[in-house]
Amino acid sequence: MTVYDVIVVGAGAGGGVVAGLLAEAGKRVLLLERGRDLAFSDVGRDHLRNHRLAQYGHNTGPEINGNPRVFVDLSGQSHVVRPHESQYQNNAACVGGGTRVFGAQAWRFLPQDFAMAQQYGVPAGSSLADWPISYADLEPFYEQAEWEVGVAGAAASNHGFWPRRRDYPMPALEVHRQGAVLRAGAAALGWETVPVPLLINTVPHGGRPACIHCQHCVGFACPVEAKNGTHNTLIPRALATGRCELITEAMVTRIVTDAAGHVAGVEYIDRDEQRHEVRAEVVVCSAGAIETARLLLNSATAKHPQGLGNQHDQVGRHLQGHYYPGAVGLMAETIYDGQGPGVSTATCHFNHGNEGLIGGGMLADEFIALPILFWKALLPPDVPRWGLANKRFMRENYRRVLRVMGPVQEIPSPEARVMVEPTVRDRWGLPVARLSGATHPETVRTAAFMAERAHQWLQAAGATRVWGSTPSLHLSGGQHQAGTCRMGHEPHTSVVDAWGRVHGHDNLFVADGSVHVTNGGFNPVLTILALAFRMADHLVRTW
Amino acid sequence: MDNKDQFIHALSTQQWATLRVLVDLIIPADDFPGGWEAGVGEYLRRQFQEALQATLPLYQGGLDALEREAHIRGARSFAMLDSGVQQALLHQVEVGDVLAEWPVSAAAFFATVIEHAMEGFYSDPANGGNRDAVAWHMVGFEVRG
Repeated sequence: MTVYDVIVVGAGAGGGVVAGLLAEAGKRVLLLERGRDLAFSDVGRDHLRNHRLAQYGHNTGPEINGNPRVFVDLSGQSHVVRPHESQYQNNAACVGGGTRVFGAQAWRFLPQDFAMAQQYGVPAGSSLADWPISYADLEPFYEQAEWEVGVAGAAASNHGFWPRRRDYPMPALEVHRQGAVLRAGAAALGWETVPVPLLINTVPHGGRPACIHCQHCVGFACPVEAKNGTHNTLIPRALATGRCELITEAMVTRIVTDAAGHVAGVEYIDRDEQRHEVRAEVVVCSAGAIETARLLLNSATAKHPQGLGNQHDQVGRHLQGHYYPGAVGLMAETIYDGQGPGVSTATCHFNHGNEGLIGGGMLADEFIALPILFWKALLPPDVPRWGLANKRFMRENYRRVLRVMGPVQEIPSPEARVMVEPTVRDRWGLPVARLSGATHPETVRTAAFMAERAHQWLQAAGATRVWGSTPSLHLSGGQHQAGTCRMGHEPHTSVVDAWGRVHGHDNLFVADGSVHVTNGGFNPVLTILALAFRMADHLVRTW
Repeated sequence: MDNKDQFIHALSTQQWATLRVLVDLIIPADDFPGGWEAGVGEYLRRQFQEALQATLPLYQGGLDALEREAHIRGARSFAMLDSGVQQALLHQVEVGDVLAEWPVSAAAFFATVIEHAMEGFYSDPANGGNRDAVAWHMVGFEVRG
């Protein structure tokens, strides 16, 4: 049997970073990924099967069949759901994970985001808590993620929101028409704007070219590999050492513990349905907030009957993603210029300090809309759904519509959770994830406030008409899933310590969004990457 | 019988004919093609063998019921009704205000056909519809990279 120093479960944002740094530090790494290593042509440009509109499937794994989950709605009714159905809360299963197809927004969380409970207090029914680390603790690793994965941005335009030592490695994306119009609108309102930092090459970087401004960015793979994920940075670095073995289509069934309860390795099933048990000194779970929680729960033994790390019933709780309030505005003139990705301009004016609210969120302009998605989601409510009037609206206004939206910092609920459902099994015979509960109602209040700000911004930018609805109470997770193995000093209220090590296990770690105590009012990927850099650095130094 | 034939037979000749008229009312021709000419029929033919297989009974039941609505209005077929009458009938179908016996929900049937017709018209041509990216040219979505 091959013995590894470390087994990393999941080759996404967190797992890719850990594999890369540990292999470079001389460790023998086994990187197991349930999805495939996808070429650009495998991902394709199907407008009905992608990570923006998953009407009939996805352009990455998981496969529609054989990978169900159970979703429990707010009335308590259970539903078996498939990966492309929204209640599944899917994230891409492939080498690179979500970074293969993301929109690449590369936000740091704000210093205040690490101390939400301290600043705002804890509303009844919420599990809002402070992180055990501060922004200052993570800052060097945000910088490392920005430089080693590759972020374009403008530190000088950060308005002091984020103390930082070093600029971005690449200049911010050029501002196009929609960004210019929104910057003027924000200026009229007295709101400062920030160029959206992106894990996208604006100049050649890392041996790959600059963005060609195509129209299929978010939800799809980049045709020139100008979008920076772990699949084209840290994972190739890991493989280049000769010390990392990447096995794709490998489903980890459980974390193996010995008689004393010590983590000894993992068991996985390969693409030929062969079962393997592999041993390592350290196991790192990087399967995403839902699948990591599921794996820990499915690894129960007599010694750990509730699952690993779950002696205090914390694994799987506090599931959160982001509510995405926004608005759509009709401009008098053409606003669309076809220059992808589209997103360029944000305001962080409402992330904190909103009277009567807990936190807030960032607002930004949007990626180019697929025409079918425009039809499904962006038409004003009074436009007929069919007939000549509908066609005419599409013809006349696709290029005149401007959108603003953004992620709201969720106020976590312990009842929003991942459990396992033994009565429903996946194609490998494993109990599937069972998702239930919803965010805390405070999130909904903040979302309503942010939707109003989006309306206001569009009006100030010259929209002649603005529409859009406010999200109602629901469970979120999806591509921004987080919180299910939260960090903390106290084992009764958290799953991992401040380094990502599972309480009670000296050699079991989590490196993905699971460890986020709160999920910021921002896209979380840069924080996932930075935490993985920090965890890997710690492991290397203390091993 | 090859695959193509098999799924042409997913609907009867009459049902295809009714569907064609219906799709062109949902996406009428103006100086850009209507839904059928733009390939919505081909889109549906392909999807009926895959993602939309489960919706076939809804289509079959709804298309037949639409014909019965036409008969009740004294026409030999839905296609023979004046276009103004067709549209008025569809406004009734849309809200479930129907005269004939429907084995499926009239409103659900119509909402479903609208959704699918738009998918065929506005999604990528590789799905079978949006012939030569005509809908994208119409709205101004250009693929440049």
